[in-house]
Amino acid sequence: MKKLLSISLALLMGLTAVGCSNSTPSNSASPAPAEGGEGKVLNVWTWNTEFWGFLGKYYADEVVDEYTLKKGDVTIKRTTYPSDDGAYQNALDEALLNQATAADDDKIDLFLAEADYIVKYTNSDATMDVKSIGVTDFSNTYQYTVQAASDAKGTVKGVSFQCCPAALIYRRSIAQDVIGTDDPAAVQAAVADWDKFNQVAADAKDKGYYMIATTNATYRVYSNNTTSPWVKDNKLSIDPNIEKWMDQSEEFVKNGYTAYTSNIWGDEATSEMFGSGKTMCYFGPAWYFNFSMTNAQDKEKGCFGDWAICQGPQPFFWGGTWMLAATGTDNPEMVADIMNTFINNEEVCEGLVKNEAQFSNNQKINNKYASDPTFGNEFLGGQNDTAIFAELAKNIKFQNVTQYDQLCNEGLQKYFTEFLDGEVATREDAINNFKDFIKNKYPSITVE
Amino acid sequence: MSVKKVSGNKSVSYARYGYLFILPFFVVYAIFTLYPQMLTIYNSFFEYYRDGLTIVGPNFVGMKNYVALFTKNSSGYIPLFKFLGNTVWLWLLGAVPQFVIAMMLAIFFTSTRLNIRGQQFFKTVIYMPNLIMASAFSMLFFALFSQVGPINQLLVEMGVIDKAFNFLGVRVTVQSLIALMNFLMWFGNTTILLMAGIQGIDESLFESARLDGSNATQVFFNITMPLLMPIFIYVLITSMIGGIQMFDVPQVLTNGIGTPNNTSMTLIMYLNNFLGTSKNYGMAGAVSVLLFIITAILSTFVFKTINKK
Repeated sequence: MKKLLSISLALLMGLTAVGCSNSTPSNSASPAPAEGGEGKVLNVWTWNTEFWGFLGKYYADEVVDEYTLKKGDVTIKRTTYPSDDGAYQNALDEALLNQATAADDDKIDLFLAEADYIVKYTNSDATMDVKSIGVTDFSNTYQYTVQAASDAKGTVKGVSFQCCPAALIYRRSIAQDVIGTDDPAAVQAAVADWDKFNQVAADAKDKGYYMIATTNATYRVYSNNTTSPWVKDNKLSIDPNIEKWMDQSEEFVKNGYTAYTSNIWGDEATSEMFGSGKTMCYFGPAWYFNFSMTNAQDKEKGCFGDWAICQGPQPFFWGGTWMLAATGTDNPEMVADIMNTFINNEEVCEGLVKNEAQFSNNQKINNKYASDPTFGNEFLGGQNDTAIFAELAKNIKFQNVTQYDQLCNEGLQKYFTEFLDGEVATREDAINNFKDFIKNKYPSITVE
Repeated sequence: MSVKKVSGNKSVSYARYGYLFILPFFVVYAIFTLYPQMLTIYNSFFEYYRDGLTIVGPNFVGMKNYVALFTKNSSGYIPLFKFLGNTVWLWLLGAVPQFVIAMMLAIFFTSTRLNIRGQQFFKTVIYMPNLIMASAFSMLFFALFSQVGPINQLLVEMGVIDKAFNFLGVRVTVQSLIALMNFLMWFGNTTILLMAGIQGIDESLFESARLDGSNATQVFFNITMPLLMPIFIYVLITSMIGGIQMFDVPQVLTNGIGTPNNTSMTLIMYLNNFLGTSKNYGMAGAVSVLLFIITAILSTFVFKTINKK
């Protein structure tokens, strides 16, 4: 037995040695093909699978498994952390701070970031100038997507594969019942401002429906139309428009216009998206209804095709996923190639619009479909959403953003919800709880 | 066994082998426990955190972190005291039923008069919840008790309530759920430890008590309890230390913010808030040091008072 063991061990060692001697010369002997300096592993960091899905479908040669793709002889690996409570940011920060000492194959090459915190990364040395690696043509992208990915000096650090003007997404059948029509133009006229919106909410209540699934559903509309940032000169301030959201939420709960007060991603709010749901309105960009409204798209319980979009009471945009090039990447060419593919490769951008119901970051392609009378989105009952988004995209201004926005937005909603649920006595108490939360999370911010 | 005797003064000391054998523990303890503990105390005197990708500090600030901990927050209370109160309250809610039930079960299972069959089976079953990871258990309850979860559906369908109840948004239910989970997870463990303790008591004592005509209550208070005391104190103290460190169950159930109105925020959740985003080693260190002191005082106090009798 011992003998057998030692023989097999010896054999194993021999094999390993052969393996080494085989691979070493072949690497050094055949000097660099086109991308010879490139690493064999491309690490992509994400907080969900939206972009990863497109990367597998439109860029990679082969989808190996849920976490691995192949492009040529390069393996693309995904690392994912959930976004909630800043978990993704925390993990990413840790990894980026250790980037310099990480082995080449463990280095982050490309990571995704959201509007809520992208400035943290663009304004640091952790990201690099993408023009220097060959992403130079921004002629077709939307201006705000470039601005958002640029640092204070205007150096572009990444690109977005989508443009995210957002709209009011409504259930056609309920609108038919409440407003008497499901025509987007007529519905828009009925909800053109917040006063009208609230009036429709009252009508919906009378007919046994809810205007919104949760009070947090309208949050982004208000928070995207603020006139001041969350944090200025290290001081936390609550914008008047956020106060308006609180007013509306309080009123909606009091009058029973909302189904829940919960988190928009939670089971409560999303259960209203099923066909049996009684909620008329949701708010969001293209990614919201094609990636986050999966309950509505459910073949059996959903209500595919019973939806439509219009601008809603106030124009806004929400999120967007940017790809940023990590400093220290050993695959700069592939990083640039991916970025170029998703903004300038017309075939890919057309695929995103046509097959994925995305609103791409290529104006030329978007406009082509926007003006195509035969083009329509099945989920929206054949409505041409691209035409509406192309119009809404003109309003987008990337302003009043700070690196603290994610936790400020999440925190305010969580703590204000406690007040709406009646467990916190006054609005001031809820705001104080929120301030304490921010103070604990960010020692550099002063709250009064 | 023969004891080796060596004549004269030149006795061979076997003690050094003993030291050798316990050395691994001390090495591991020093590296993984003592050193980090010292580092924590050291860090608690520094301003040391991250602002985004920028590292601030470490700058020596003396007692500033401790002063900050005892300063009232925007809501007008000292967070440390409130969260300590929460922690103790949540622990008591779970621990009192846990000890009562565990003690009852331990007595039933060890009683030679009852002689319950299938003990092995019951012991396994009651211990089972402890095998599930606390966070997974909490996640399960989160899904079960959500407004669209099965519990609400069941209650509505049975006509107990006419509209889904927000279990996870109301103080009483949130705290009860946390206590229930802690109870479920730990009563099996306590039962088994107490059983071991009771089985260690000489059976003849019970027998003679019964022959003298004492009833079950008398046996419990005059024989079982006094003789079980050392084990009972041990179980109580470990439970208390575990309770002070309560974290995963409320953290997951309340999305990390101790809903509602910070009434389920425990000390460790408070500590975690400093660490998660900004890696605030200074403040977190100060909380840890205070936690260490509190735990030490509590343990000594309980040990002293119970041991006196």
